Amino acid sequence: MHEWALAEAVIAATSSVLAGRDPSCLKSVSVLIGELQAIDRGIFDFALSSLWEEKPFRSASFTLRTEPAELSCRACGCGWGLEQSPGLTSANREAIHFLPEAAHAFIRCPSCGSPDYQVVRGRGVSIENIGILQSCL
Amino acid sequence: MMDPRESIIGTRLGRVGRIIGFSSAKGGVGKTLCTTTAAVVLARAGRRVGVLDLDLQGASAHIFLGVQPRMPAEDRGILPLSAAENLFFMSASIFAGEKALALRGSEVSDAIRELLAVTQWGPLDCLLVDMPPGIGDEVLDLARLIPRLEALVISTPSAVSVAVVRRLLAVLAEMRVPVSGVVANMAAGRADSVREMAAQSGNAFAGEVQVDGAIEAAIGDVVRLASTTAAADLCKVLAAIGLL
Repeated sequence: MHEWALAEAVIAATSSVLAGRDPSCLKSVSVLIGELQAIDRGIFDFALSSLWEEKPFRSASFTLRTEPAELSCRACGCGWGLEQSPGLTSANREAIHFLPEAAHAFIRCPSCGSPDYQVVRGRGVSIENIGILQSCL
Repeated sequence: MMDPRESIIGTRLGRVGRIIGFSSAKGGVGKTLCTTTAAVVLARAGRRVGVLDLDLQGASAHIFLGVQPRMPAEDRGILPLSAAENLFFMSASIFAGEKALALRGSEVSDAIRELLAVTQWGPLDCLLVDMPPGIGDEVLDLARLIPRLEALVISTPSAVSVAVVRRLLAVLAEMRVPVSGVVANMAAGRADSVREMAAQSGNAFAGEVQVDGAIEAAIGDVVRLASTTAAADLCKVLAAIGLL
């Protein structure tokens, strides 16, 4: 599953932040899941939990939060969400799931039709916060 | 906010041998022809080869290789498409199909990081990267994300191409990206200007690829691509840079 690759990336990034510190220093990790990429939260949660258990910092907690997608047109300034991007086929959605930038092939500004827009937030997987125990700082 | 993808790219490429960006600051010099034909030559010689098309806005490597865009299989990531025996392929075109991708710099960078973070190449002897023209996000990102990246620099003998490619060689030197060789494409027996540019910049001249009238008819057919004179010329180039 594609979600495993992203979960592995979260684990690798967490490990790199911890570099040089005792793994028990890790308190928590908060992960944002962008709505645009439409990650299967159940699979991602399972993958992250499984990989988490393999690491020495398994006593730390992690939380997942879904971030709604917000798009903004550079041509006319219109802002909109995915619910205002009708007509996406399941094949389009699958392509965006694998590569969120594929959205630029299928979504246009609902106001002026321009392809020149940006995904302001809610693109994909990112780490919102990595908490380190105060005593380790 | 932290982007976790960069932390896993080294692991994803951990079983890949040499990684070579087929590069030129000038458009239309035959980067994609050289990348795909070289990959076909290597694959038919028994090497496991990957082709990564990073020309996101002008993707065409799939057309040369005859790969029909389709959703990839998944196994703890996405698996590259098989283009032929020993030849594996990944591109944004797999996802966008034949639709235009109008991307700005930050979106190009995001797409590159995503492709590098989630593609499971597995063991490869080499990964050939079809770079877009210019010295933009793709070149800068790849050099930063893949510290062991090499460049095979391609130019035609035209004074215009040589002048522009000379700038790329200077930037690659500043970024400490090793140049495995400089190739004269569409040489037509007059590769001296490219040979001189390579020497003046302190790089090795890797050979020349002649204009091949049979290429157009071979596009999309890896067997025919392998029998072109361009393939024979690229064989010598690949030997010169130690890939064959």
